[in-house]
Amino acid sequence: MAERPMWEQVGTSFVHLYYQRFDTSRVELSALYTDASCLSWEGQQFQGKTAIMEKLMSLPFQKIQHSITSQDHQPAPDNCILSMVVGQLKVDNDPVMGFHQLFVLKNISDNWVCTNDIFRLALYNFA
Amino acid sequence: MGDKPIWEQIGASFVQHYYHIFDTDRTQLGSLYIDASCLTWEGQQCQGKTAIVDKLSSLPFQKIQHSITSQDHQPTPDSCILSMVVGQLKADEDPIIGFHQIFILKNINDAWVCTNDMFRLALHNYG
Repeated sequence: MAERPMWEQVGTSFVHLYYQRFDTSRVELSALYTDASCLSWEGQQFQGKTAIMEKLMSLPFQKIQHSITSQDHQPAPDNCILSMVVGQLKVDNDPVMGFHQLFVLKNISDNWVCTNDIFRLALYNFA
Repeated sequence: MGDKPIWEQIGASFVQHYYHIFDTDRTQLGSLYIDASCLTWEGQQCQGKTAIVDKLSSLPFQKIQHSITSQDHQPTPDSCILSMVVGQLKADEDPIIGFHQIFILKNINDAWVCTNDMFRLALHNYG
């Protein structure tokens, strides 16, 4: 009866849904955020569903495909779930790039929504 | 007045402190965790301060140096702080490798402790 913990099931499900929507119809990501959500996209901060969706919809590419290398989930304070994703993405005809993203998920009225989202490309200052 | 938000100040402070201790004497990281803390290290789960310090102390290298490329901080719904770090590290004589780490910080009795910690090396299944 080696069932995965609930936070892993919910986290995995969310991650799958998020990237599926992002890659096929990112306007549908709106349902995953609330007015209290925060997004940090490559260091730029956005607060609330409207601002977040404006940012995501304005990203300058036609096609995108995400590929998940690893994902980790943990139960977080206040019955939230913390999810970390490492993967690669391909935008239009650009070369494949690594990315890092994390989500904090909260259950509001029986729906798991994303209250915190942080995204970074895997670019380093090679020192 | 151009002051950074409090969550950024605390997050940045914690991150600097964490890597300083990690790089100089990681057996001293115990004070940053509590018994309810969770660590996921390259997919392996550890629960509680003792198990976490055991895991970190037993990592198979003598020297390590972390270099932070970027860090992002956000407030979470229940007054915690979420921090994401992208960087590079060098362990002993191994080549430099990218890493990704996230922390959730909670204020308990006026001290900011780490309740959630996830670490992954930036290794991808090139596909």
